[in-house]
Amino acid sequence: MIKYHPSEHILQSYVQGELCASLSVAVSMHVAMCPQCQHLTCQYEASCAQSFAGENLDLHGDENWDELIAQITEDTMLAEIAAPAPLEIEIKGEQFLLPSSLQNVGLSGWLKLGKLSRSRLNLGDGKLHASLLHIEKGGSVPQHTHRGFELTLLLSGTFKDEMDSYVPGDFIMLDGSHEHSPVATESCLCFTLADDALHFSQGLSQLFNPIGKLIY
Amino acid sequence: MIEKSRQQSTETPQGSVMKDVAATQTSEQRLLSAEQQAQLCDWMHRIANHRDRKAFACLFKWFAPKVLHLGRQRFGDASQAQELLQESMANVWRKAHLFNAEKGAVTTWIYTLVRNQSFDMLRKMQTNREDNLSEDIWQQHSNERDDSAEFSDHLLDRQLVEYVEKLPEEQKNVVKGIYFQELSQEELANQLGIPLGTVKSRLRLALGKLKAHMGEHHD
Repeated sequence: MIKYHPSEHILQSYVQGELCASLSVAVSMHVAMCPQCQHLTCQYEASCAQSFAGENLDLHGDENWDELIAQITEDTMLAEIAAPAPLEIEIKGEQFLLPSSLQNVGLSGWLKLGKLSRSRLNLGDGKLHASLLHIEKGGSVPQHTHRGFELTLLLSGTFKDEMDSYVPGDFIMLDGSHEHSPVATESCLCFTLADDALHFSQGLSQLFNPIGKLIY
Repeated sequence: MIEKSRQQSTETPQGSVMKDVAATQTSEQRLLSAEQQAQLCDWMHRIANHRDRKAFACLFKWFAPKVLHLGRQRFGDASQAQELLQESMANVWRKAHLFNAEKGAVTTWIYTLVRNQSFDMLRKMQTNREDNLSEDIWQQHSNERDDSAEFSDHLLDRQLVEYVEKLPEEQKNVVKGIYFQELSQEELANQLGIPLGTVKSRLRLALGKLKAHMGEHHD
């Protein structure tokens, strides 16, 4: 069962379209997997719509909209909702169906480091780096902290760290006060979002600090 | 817009959100009356089913000040607010047939179209990207997806397939060749070694029977 959810603040901002694309995509994928947050999202949408529609504003008296209305209604095209086939990716011989929120987002080639592979998502949100991270069964990310924040959304498979074990849909937001070393209990695919490189904190792993830049 | 702490499901966020929303409501805001909601539904219905321009003009004028208000708040700029109004309302016109009154209020549906448009506009301003991701991001719980239509089409297909199977052998082969294997009438004539005219007449007979049969159930 999914235990980790976006905070109410994130979910509300998501509903209002105020989050950057990387985080919106992450919340959207979580919501698709989480009936509880689907329900909340609908409630938030309804209450935002209520304040939106409840604005009892002056009608700007003489404003003449007729030209604009005529222009819009000249269009005879009807929008169609095409349900595109889910995008399939293959990594290390395993196939995964990508969530529909990612269907129009570019993926870089896979960078492989032992049991870890990552592909950068081309979302263009400045210093926020969004990636897909694949960890083979038994693979792990050395113990690290986060100078900024790190969001991990588990899409498939399971992993655990010092704090808990996680299932698909878990939305795990960590910051500099957390230190962890995730281990894949079965091979897994995650969406990750970080605003700074990881900082490896233990023994020889410290030598790997440049790797943090590669993974996240 | 980043939360720094871990969130667990034991929280019940609903209460405080309602409070937040209530706090943003000024004395000028009020809930819509049942008549107003029925009026909005009626306009949507007339736009969707009859492409009724008068109904659209009414709907447009009802929502315009609200969309402009939201746009000015978000962009701090009158011309961006105007663009938001124009693009959102053009989407309302193009998508009206996708609105499903059983799944939510007209105001919620239009709010989500405005929200999506403003998301795409903000993204374009901030990152110079015109990828219009909003439809992908909000598609799974949007009112636009009409599962029941897909479902009934699917059922109809299955009924048709069953009935095609009951056609006389010669007619069945022609229908299957044309509609299931997507052969041209010429290709099918060659494949079956019969004249093109025969393919045409068998097809006409078969379609007549199918229509009559489906008509019984779908009038």
